[in-house]
Amino acid sequence: MRALALVLWMAGLAHAASYFAIVSGLGGEPEYEGQFKRWATDLEQALKANGPDCHIETLAGAAATRQNILEMLNRVAGQTRSDDSFALILIGHGTYDGTDYKFNVPGRDVTASDLASALNHIAGQRQLVVDATSASGAVLPVLAKADRIVVTATKSGTEKNATIFARYWIDALRNPAADSDKNGTISALEAFRYAEAKTAEYFKSEKLIATEHAMLSDTGSKEGVRDPKPENGQGMRAAAFALVRPPSQAKASNQGTQNLLTKKEELEAAIDKLKYQKAAMPPDEYKRQLSALLLQLARTQAEIDQ
Amino acid sequence: MNRWLTRARRASKAGGAAGVLLGGLTIILPNCYGAQVDDCRVLQHHGKQAQAQKCFASLTGSPDPFDRAMGYWGLHRYDQANEQFRAAYQGSRNQARTRTEWGLLFLERFNAGEAVNLFNDALEADPKYAPAYLGLARASAKTFDEKAVGFAKEAISRDPKLYAAYELLAFLALEDGNTEEAMKQAQQALSISSEALDAMSILASIDWLNDKPNSEWIDRILKVNPVYGEAYATGAHFFVINRRYEEGIDYYGKALALNPNLWDARSELGLNLLRVGQVARAKTELEQSYQGGYRNAETVNSLRVIDSLKNYQTIPVSRGVLVLNSKEAKLLQPYVAAELEKSVAIYERKYHMKLPGPVRLEVYPNHEDFIVRTLGLPGQGGLLGVTFGLVVAMDSPSAQAPGQLNWATTIRHEVNHVYVLTATHHRVPRWFAEGLAVHEESATEPEWGHRLTPDVVDAIRHKRLLPVMELERGFVRPHYPSQVVVSYYQAGKLCDYIAQKWGDAALLGMIQSFAAKKPTAAVLDENIHQSPESFDKGFISWLDQQTAKTIEHFDEWKKGMDAAHTALAAGKKDEAVRLASGVRDLYPEYVQGGSAYELLAGVYVDQGKKAEALANLELYRERGGRNVGSLRKLADLEKETGKPDKALDTLRKVNWIYPEDVEVHQKLGELEFQHGDAKAAIQEFQSVLFLQPSDTAQSHYDLARALFAAQRADEARDEVLLSLEAAPDFKPAQQLLLKLSK
Repeated sequence: MRALALVLWMAGLAHAASYFAIVSGLGGEPEYEGQFKRWATDLEQALKANGPDCHIETLAGAAATRQNILEMLNRVAGQTRSDDSFALILIGHGTYDGTDYKFNVPGRDVTASDLASALNHIAGQRQLVVDATSASGAVLPVLAKADRIVVTATKSGTEKNATIFARYWIDALRNPAADSDKNGTISALEAFRYAEAKTAEYFKSEKLIATEHAMLSDTGSKEGVRDPKPENGQGMRAAAFALVRPPSQAKASNQGTQNLLTKKEELEAAIDKLKYQKAAMPPDEYKRQLSALLLQLARTQAEIDQ
Repeated sequence: MNRWLTRARRASKAGGAAGVLLGGLTIILPNCYGAQVDDCRVLQHHGKQAQAQKCFASLTGSPDPFDRAMGYWGLHRYDQANEQFRAAYQGSRNQARTRTEWGLLFLERFNAGEAVNLFNDALEADPKYAPAYLGLARASAKTFDEKAVGFAKEAISRDPKLYAAYELLAFLALEDGNTEEAMKQAQQALSISSEALDAMSILASIDWLNDKPNSEWIDRILKVNPVYGEAYATGAHFFVINRRYEEGIDYYGKALALNPNLWDARSELGLNLLRVGQVARAKTELEQSYQGGYRNAETVNSLRVIDSLKNYQTIPVSRGVLVLNSKEAKLLQPYVAAELEKSVAIYERKYHMKLPGPVRLEVYPNHEDFIVRTLGLPGQGGLLGVTFGLVVAMDSPSAQAPGQLNWATTIRHEVNHVYVLTATHHRVPRWFAEGLAVHEESATEPEWGHRLTPDVVDAIRHKRLLPVMELERGFVRPHYPSQVVVSYYQAGKLCDYIAQKWGDAALLGMIQSFAAKKPTAAVLDENIHQSPESFDKGFISWLDQQTAKTIEHFDEWKKGMDAAHTALAAGKKDEAVRLASGVRDLYPEYVQGGSAYELLAGVYVDQGKKAEALANLELYRERGGRNVGSLRKLADLEKETGKPDKALDTLRKVNWIYPEDVEVHQKLGELEFQHGDAKAAIQEFQSVLFLQPSDTAQSHYDLARALFAAQRADEARDEVLLSLEAAPDFKPAQQLLLKLSK
């Protein structure tokens, strides 16, 4: 669900750049080494669909050392502007000893504190960290910040088994089914919901005890939630963070079309507003008003498409 | 679980020296140790309960911890009895008896593991102590373990006068359906003690099973002990294991009428009431049993299941009543109801009969809840469904990992039991009931039924198939771990053989003969004019023709497949193909994990050889392969290669195995839609929504367009609005809304 303010905010960011940093850590075993590298490659490939304004840097295998990771984050800090977006995605194994979270890389591991101080130097109000490692829930208290979206594969540092969340997160970027509002853009919230549901489904269908429970925090809360929604106040910022979006729409060629586009935006905003009022309305009245707005929107879109 | 098996205290009192005869009951008393205990037991044996209680109460004041333990036990004060046994265990006197009696206490109080440890401890103290062997026999008998017979015989070899061991042998023989042996052993017990109540209970049970309700034995029993309800409970047990549940319930009632404090009988009554669907009565009996201190796993778990029934919906359908868990009722109902209807129609036509009432089909998403229904019944290994008269209980597909259960074939199998049990008034041996049900599974759907698994191959190779006259024990008291599975396969093949050689009419005739209470030998003679021996000979020869190639080349096949998997793991795909192709047809029925079909298909897909992959997966499906991923791959290949009808058929079969898969319903719905079957497409798209897909906009839209095609415009409009509510800019849904608004 979108909030009107955020929709307008996104619209105003049409020319901002997107930066993605992908790090694939140590696998420990050949099976995991191969899997993590493959996931990193797949993720990079999926993000390339964003076009030339999207800057992607990947560190994998021997190159994914602590020093290289922190240097990469420093480089990003030097390049980004306040209206740019930045996402860091960590794939691999993590550990938590009760005090410190460590992302396992060749040589000295990267701690949650290392990441926090590097990320704090990156400008921009739109920052996303996806820590898809085991024990990643332990980073939430360290990385959570009011203007940062933090997604973890596990709910705490005590979920220590190797995770599969990353696999479904990557799937989300490639699968149109993840685009639940059908606007052509996969937001961080849509990707989270898709990956979280698919991960849960995997454990359920295999009759396995779930050893990971993904969390999201985008309000600065250090606990995160499994089911971000307006009722718990989580997910608004993630809904506005585009991970994959279609090529820029052609601008209106004439005033008539521009008027229709404006009308369309107004109708979308009215629908969003109505949906937020749903709980307080009689169902029949809600349905009547929604039907009318959706029909107007459909007619407007048909006119635009003509 | 039958209380008879824990009722061992009289039997274990042989302690050594002198024997006396009390009214025909031989009591072997030790010189002094524990003498009063036996006095109390004699009173108990004769049903003099008040006096027995007084006697046991007096024991609790004894300076000897063993006596105190026995006293508390007699008063049903189990914790205190346990404490006193522990104290007695520390002492040095007659440790074999102390440990055995303590073990029997554990056996009575639902801890067979600890009981076995104590019986073994007793044998360490005295390797010749017969009652300890008898204790081991009783513990084994609880789980239908065939070692029970060996332990009982060992007990007799140590003490030929231990009549309770003969009673147990009689009990075990009757469980195996061997009436003659049961009578012989019971008479043997009676020759030692004319007051052997349980021997008489076995003989009475034989009369009752043979429809002689006025058995002379019950009169003799009641003369010894006028409140010996255990005799009726024994009869009830045999009715139940012969699937005559209603009579079992009746006899448990008689047992309780004589002695309302038989808590184990009351628990069994509750369990069996639950089995036949009398939930309210079951709850009352089980709660009373629980309140009476009888809190074994069956009682507690059954009460828990009854409590969980509030989460179930009872849904009347055209040929029965479905009891489905609310969380999956909407998803399963259309599929399960359709299969139930189909199964009923098939058997109604085939067996020329109508059922006396609707079939009640209970589907449990929690395997443990289903298992509660089977506790205490023989042949439990790997059960997925069970039939009690008109009631069928089964696992839901969600209770098992994908591929473990084909729910449709389970219904076909269990509904067959409903018909055969009804037609024969439950007088049908297990081998024929199971065999016919397995036969009927594959009679209409060739890829159903039981496969020639490696366990079966092994049994055939080592000549472990049983003669038809002994096949019953393959179900009841398996000799090796996989024997129940092997027996299902064999029984199914026996019926296949009969149908093929003598026709379906012979099978129908056999049902009628069993209904007329004829034994297996007479049934074979009457319907196919074969002696059991010639029937067995002909069957083995017939089976050999079908399986000889696999049996002969099994080792070669195994070696080849191991090498193929090793090559594949090393990345040598061409080598893996060569090896797997070389041995695949030596064992064509192998469709379990790591099958040649799946290995080959996987490599061929990687190599872009779709036709070869398709050919292997089609064989995999036809031979009963159940791996959902492989079948989904097959459907994709069929669709990609221009065979949408085949893809449709494959996906329908996947639904029989795992209806919880969102993508399968999406694809199936789309194919049904393209095939022009809007009604079927609606069902599939509804299933998608019941499974709460992540893409709700697409799912509501899919359902909307199928409803629109079915000219259900109002419903289509509701669905398209739901789609657009989730995704207001979803163009296909917008276009459909415009169409619907014209």
